[in-house]
Amino acid sequence: MAEQKRRSKSRRAFWWQVISGVFLVVLATVHMVANHFVVPGGLRTYADVVAYIGTPAIFLLETVFLIMVTVHALLGVRAVLLDLSPSETTTRRLDRVLVLLGVVTMIYATGLMAVVARGGL
Amino acid sequence: MPNADKGRVPAERSRRVSRWFDPRGIAPGQLAFVLHRITGLGLVFYLYLHLAVLSLLARGPEAWDRFIDLAKTTPILILDVVLIFGLLFHALNGLRLTLVSLNMGVRRQTALFWGAALVTVVLTAVAGWMIFRM
Repeated sequence: MAEQKRRSKSRRAFWWQVISGVFLVVLATVHMVANHFVVPGGLRTYADVVAYIGTPAIFLLETVFLIMVTVHALLGVRAVLLDLSPSETTTRRLDRVLVLLGVVTMIYATGLMAVVARGGL
Repeated sequence: MPNADKGRVPAERSRRVSRWFDPRGIAPGQLAFVLHRITGLGLVFYLYLHLAVLSLLARGPEAWDRFIDLAKTTPILILDVVLIFGLLFHALNGLRLTLVSLNMGVRRQTALFWGAALVTVVLTAVAGWMIFRM
């Protein structure tokens, strides 16, 4: 039963990794092109960043990008760490730490985007 | 499976991870696995570095302008090219893994790997040229 549960969890994590990865191919391309490759000098000025992130559609797009990249990154870290064959208890603790880290990352980065969209602190 | 070797002694586990960095007699599948893991971990490190750098935006235009000056120096531009190589390889090899997981192109996965590697090198060269031309 526990083994079945663990396998089902691993399968779910794998498919989340695949789905977020496919989204990221599109979102990361848009992010790189919009923020670097079409911008003279490769980086937006402060005023340009504020105007860009202040656009509601862009804010939403960057938030979805942030969620996908965080989920994909932390599931990837989980997969690498599970290769070290931790015990069941360690795996459970690891899952909790990674969920917490993911939530903190998303709250911090969304808050940062909101502050920048308003023109700084 | 993640816990397939559960019960192995710790030395055996660490030997398995240390083999990621052993290039002797490496097969394409293993090379793809190792490069995918290394680029993935590098990109996770970059994600948090990127968030730390972007926090400069909250401090106002002066802090951001100082960063822009730094970002235009040659060592940082070289790191940008390395980042793009990692991003492209991870994305293209990830798409290959997705196809294989969906039972598509399983027999051609070695060719798909070399294709992904070739496209990565070509696109990195193009991106590098654009970065140093900007």
